[in-house]
Amino acid sequence: MKTTCIIVEDIQIAADFLKKFCEKSGLVDVKGHFLNVPDALAFLDEHKPDLIFLDVEMPGANGFQLLDSLTYSPKIILTTSKTEYAFDAFQYNVNDYLKKPFTYKRFLESIHKVQGLPAPGTGPTATPAPPPASDIDFLFIKADDKLVRIKKDDILFMESMRDYVKFVTPGKTYITYSTLKNMEEKLGGPSFIKVHRSYIININKIDDIRGNTIYVQGNAIPVGKGHKEELAARLNIQ
Amino acid sequence: MDKYLILIFGIYAGYTYIYTLNEFVITKLQYLMKEIRSDQFVFHERLNATFLEELFEGDTIYAETVFEDFLRDLPAYWEKVQTSYQHKNLTLLGTNIHTCKTLFGYVGFTDLQELCQEFENKCAIHTAEELQADFAALVRKKQEAQHIIENEYNRLKRYNEGA
Repeated sequence: MKTTCIIVEDIQIAADFLKKFCEKSGLVDVKGHFLNVPDALAFLDEHKPDLIFLDVEMPGANGFQLLDSLTYSPKIILTTSKTEYAFDAFQYNVNDYLKKPFTYKRFLESIHKVQGLPAPGTGPTATPAPPPASDIDFLFIKADDKLVRIKKDDILFMESMRDYVKFVTPGKTYITYSTLKNMEEKLGGPSFIKVHRSYIININKIDDIRGNTIYVQGNAIPVGKGHKEELAARLNIQ
Repeated sequence: MDKYLILIFGIYAGYTYIYTLNEFVITKLQYLMKEIRSDQFVFHERLNATFLEELFEGDTIYAETVFEDFLRDLPAYWEKVQTSYQHKNLTLLGTNIHTCKTLFGYVGFTDLQELCQEFENKCAIHTAEELQADFAALVRKKQEAQHIIENEYNRLKRYNEGA
């Protein structure tokens, strides 16, 4: 059965792309397109679509205000051209976050995720995974619509933001669409250790440890109970 | 050498990036070779062709529609930008630039998107007076972009008619 959805988007081109992608996928049935939050809420009072594609910045009320007014819990995919909203999206527990303009491939990944289907291309015919890259001293992450090369040595720590991971380096912070588990596998090597379910740190960057908190260049990172022992062993703490 | 640079600058007056002679020759040759090698539509070199190819997946008919919609929608959005700038309403100006930024993305103007993002950020911290030079530069680049998209739209139209 198709997922029913509405599109809340004030830019016509963006809405047209979404409609086209929904139709092309054969997985989503668009029940309506609304240019602003009040019109969308009026529709949502009577209809309960499974999914809302929601722009954030619109004239009048914004997308988060719509989320605050919802009387049921549909799946939400935020569509915006600002990466700055990733953290708010995380706090609102949205299901996915699409940075405009996005491609059909990215759209499909998102729909599969919402529908609980395996990611496109991960079926039996999928290409085998590349060998571990723990011996390479850099990694590429997708941020701001480009692949950014980050030296592993430059990473201070990584923080999980649900389906996103925040990379903190001395000069810049990057947010990429991935999971901490995925990054843990990608990084490998002796320099990185998971100290909390939401944090992986570079042990070479630790300034000091006070109680259950690690300080890395002014950032306080909590140490989870289950990670204390391994951390102590790795740091040779008696 | 200077004469060549002046000539190139003249030819590419609409461009914001001034090529050195070597860069110009290489860029132009790459572009021409790509066109000769393939009968596929090749987007203008100022546009992010890789992204556009991924976005449209070879559907030049849809690309034509999107470029047409861009040319239809941009003037109205830009008028709002001009009005908010004249009224020195920087919050609204930032919001209106944000909309234009999204539009530029759909036609592959990645660099202009970045410029809009910078301007949008500045709207939150600067005064209208401080933004004068940046705004003038943005207006200039928007005009250049619009001109390129008009030409691209016509090229797409011709290409699709002949396809």
